[in-house]
Amino acid sequence: MRPRVLLAPLALVLLLALFPAVFPGELNYIGLGFLTFIFVTLAVSWNMVGGYAGQVSFGYAAFFGTAAYTTAILWSRYQWEPVLTLPLAGLAAVVVALLVGLPCFRLLGPYFSIATIGVGEAFRVLALNLDQLTGGASGLNLPLSVPSKSWFYWSGLVLAVTVVSVSGWMRASRLGLGLFALRMDQDAAESLGLNSTAFKNVAHCLSAFFVGVAAGLYVVYFSYVHPNQVFGFDLSIGMVLMGVIGGVGTLWGPVLGAAIYYPIRQLILSQSNLVAFNLLVYGGLLIAIILFEPGGLLGLVRRVTRR
Amino acid sequence: MYEPSAIAGLVITAVLTAGLYALMSFGLALVYGVMKIINLAHAGTMMLSAFVVLSLNRALHLDPILGAVISAALFFGLGMLLYRVAVRRVVNAPPIASLLLLFGVWLCAQNAAYLIWGSEDQSIVTVYTYSTIDLGDVKIAVTRLIPFGVSLLALAGLSWFLRATDLGKAIRAVSQNAMAARLVGIRSERVATIAFGLGSALSAFAGGLLTLLFSFNPDFGGTFQLKSFSIIVLGGLESFTGVALGAVVLATAESFSILIPGWRGSLINLLAFSLLVAALVLLPGGIASLLERRGKSE
Repeated sequence: MRPRVLLAPLALVLLLALFPAVFPGELNYIGLGFLTFIFVTLAVSWNMVGGYAGQVSFGYAAFFGTAAYTTAILWSRYQWEPVLTLPLAGLAAVVVALLVGLPCFRLLGPYFSIATIGVGEAFRVLALNLDQLTGGASGLNLPLSVPSKSWFYWSGLVLAVTVVSVSGWMRASRLGLGLFALRMDQDAAESLGLNSTAFKNVAHCLSAFFVGVAAGLYVVYFSYVHPNQVFGFDLSIGMVLMGVIGGVGTLWGPVLGAAIYYPIRQLILSQSNLVAFNLLVYGGLLIAIILFEPGGLLGLVRRVTRR
Repeated sequence: MYEPSAIAGLVITAVLTAGLYALMSFGLALVYGVMKIINLAHAGTMMLSAFVVLSLNRALHLDPILGAVISAALFFGLGMLLYRVAVRRVVNAPPIASLLLLFGVWLCAQNAAYLIWGSEDQSIVTVYTYSTIDLGDVKIAVTRLIPFGVSLLALAGLSWFLRATDLGKAIRAVSQNAMAARLVGIRSERVATIAFGLGSALSAFAGGLLTLLFSFNPDFGGTFQLKSFSIIVLGGLESFTGVALGAVVLATAESFSILIPGWRGSLINLLAFSLLVAALVLLPGGIASLLERRGKSE
């Protein structure tokens, strides 16, 4: 990448990093910032498979939930330092990604998507029923001694920047180019010697790892974990939505999508007169984007600037 | 080890459930067959239809079965409208576009139901809700028997429609080969509109009948949608007999799951999800293809 292309993102990161230092009292915004970074991480990770490889998965909550519980259990039962559990949370998600990907990537297009809905829901039902391990329907309360909100904010920012960098690197790498090729025409790509199953699985594992680390940070922040929260279908859908809103398959689309989706979601959920329209907003948005601008907001911006 | 009457009871439950499952899944299979898209709004249609039946029951004391018929007619129209307005535009787009579009429709349907009927669990109690028919040691709930009979009737009618009428034949022609159908002069766009309407009507009819058996709220339908997926995938996505077979497999698995040691009722949905993934991965053509292959090799 040319150095000038990096200038604007670097300035943005610097500005974001300064926020807790300049306004240490704005705890609400620092918390909102942290969670937005987590969702940016999720959206960008999802996009590696759903966007770059064109394999739309509705089952990412299975990674998030497994990783969240890995951190929660290591931390509360075995007294691990929460930060040290994060790589393991990522690895746990990778294991799930392999378990899901090895059979499911044999399926093409919509069949893969449907299978992932089944996988995601199966994990949630299992988690609800393994109450010895997960606390079942009452969830698990975790230790309360957590770092400051600014610590979370900066960790979230580091994570988000890392995942965006990896995503950007992917686009120019053999891996990313292979994924683009198989998205456009899998048969043609394979006839040129591309092992599409291997490429999909590598991307799946890579993206699951970041989802897992984000999930670990997320539960440490809330000090509480519940199967319906971390394995919820709405989480999987959220990742799809963020990508679709911003622009599937682009580098910055999911970042933009997450930066819009998460704060708006929080705003809607916190206003009693807006909560009733929660799903209508997302449903309507989804319909409008698919019908009028499949490229998402980024596609819209490009269309406007080209004129 | 197990009483014969208990096993008989499980078999009867499985058969009765299978009838309803087949009806509920056939709408999805029909839409998939004609336009190769997966109708994620299926759950929303079932749920809205359940509420329509509820309102008809509350306001006019209409029996849920009659209500389901009216609701099916209503959703036949709404389904065609939805196809003309939106679905038509994504039929030839990458499959994910139709999935996301119809998912959006489902979300809107859920939200509409929240706004109109609220989020509480609702149920319909009729005069026969608690009555049973005794067959020796086995008791059969009337609320299971009626949907079964009605489903069989509806499926028989549908089967006749697809085999004997011109429109039905056109629908089957488009599912087999859309291009060839167009070449022989079938107006595939019109067929697709009607098929989508018919698919929605079937979902709505099934949703209406489900009110006899289950309580429901705006989240209702998601599980049944996944079950329908498993059934049509098991059945091979387009085949009429395949859907029936898939419904029998799932219903039997669910009914007999209580014999598994350490099983809990709350795990029952796991069966549908696992069958879905297993069928997709191991048996991509469904049970029907297995039978066909067997038939051909003989």
